[in-house]
Amino acid sequence: MRFLIDLVIAVAVAVVVGVGSAWYAVGQGHLFGAVTVGDWTAWPNDGTLDADPYALARIARTGEVPLGAGEGLVFTATTDDSGAPLASRCAYTIAGETPAARLWTLTATDSDGRLMPNLAHRQGFHSREIVRSANGDFVITAAASVQPGNWLPVGDSPTFDLVFRLYDTPLATGSQLSTLSMPTIRKAHCP
Amino acid sequence: MRRTILFVIGGLLVGGIIHVAIVFLVPYYAGKDAYSAIGRMGSDGQFHLLPMAEAGAEAMPATDPHFMEAVCRFDLHGGPIRVLAAMPDEFWSVAVFDKLSRNVYSLTDRAVDGSNLDLALLTSVQNAQMRQNPPESLNTAIVLELPIDAGFIVLRALVPDDSLRPAVTAALAAAQCSASL
Repeated sequence: MRFLIDLVIAVAVAVVVGVGSAWYAVGQGHLFGAVTVGDWTAWPNDGTLDADPYALARIARTGEVPLGAGEGLVFTATTDDSGAPLASRCAYTIAGETPAARLWTLTATDSDGRLMPNLAHRQGFHSREIVRSANGDFVITAAASVQPGNWLPVGDSPTFDLVFRLYDTPLATGSQLSTLSMPTIRKAHCP
Repeated sequence: MRRTILFVIGGLLVGGIIHVAIVFLVPYYAGKDAYSAIGRMGSDGQFHLLPMAEAGAEAMPATDPHFMEAVCRFDLHGGPIRVLAAMPDEFWSVAVFDKLSRNVYSLTDRAVDGSNLDLALLTSVQNAQMRQNPPESLNTAIVLELPIDAGFIVLRALVPDDSLRPAVTAALAAAQCSASL
């Protein structure tokens, strides 16, 4: 009888630890190979032949198709420059230099990476449609309410992510990522 | 009591094995992965045009909403294939993935003269055979010797604004995924 109880305990521990930790790690998926530049993070190895098993499992579960190394590189930001999560009730300015790339796009998603419905029917900007000042600088304002200039609307999920995709960039093929200059995300105001 | 602790330790070890087994098996049994999802869109060997991503209607997750995409599953067991597309003048790219969504090849429009995409996909054995008696078409095509014999191709084309959407749609809809060499 004691043996049976011990066996049941052992099996329960094995199943809970094994399934639970695998579930967590695959859901997380981004365990290795992160490259952080300012407020932005990229996983250049995801979706390559060098991808780790957790990244492979995560991509298989979400069904997403990564960008190939020759196509570009994807950066994601979940926090502003102070490290606070991006809250939909606040307004943020995104400004600064962008790395060398033939084209970039900036998209707002909810914290699960899904596009958010909004009345303006705008999900993001690409580098050619953006309104720039005379010297070529740009400021994008991400907020739920209407803003002047380049307004990036965010939906009603409590927090959101910003996805910055660089297309046809020398970075994707292995030049130093850590010395990049990426735009900064600064909280403008919060009601 | 000592014996119970030993059983718990044994359970932890088995749990570790279960963890590794699940992580390695998920890509093969996920069912939601891109290769399976494209298989449900229609027959292999032809491009399926995806509607542009909009809130609440994303054909594939984490797709850039500024792009229109066409996807195609290919299989080289029946011989090499040729991918032909008259692409728009705006930015576009093409990427080849294996069944686990690992990228094996990608290029952008800059790698191509003009805007006509012409790829020949073959395995290394097929490439060696082809070299002995190269068909005319190989002179113009970009030849990709792939380390895989099945997978999928993704064509992505920028839609800079809505007025260019019909042209991009027409270009992607006419793309051929399994033309013969």
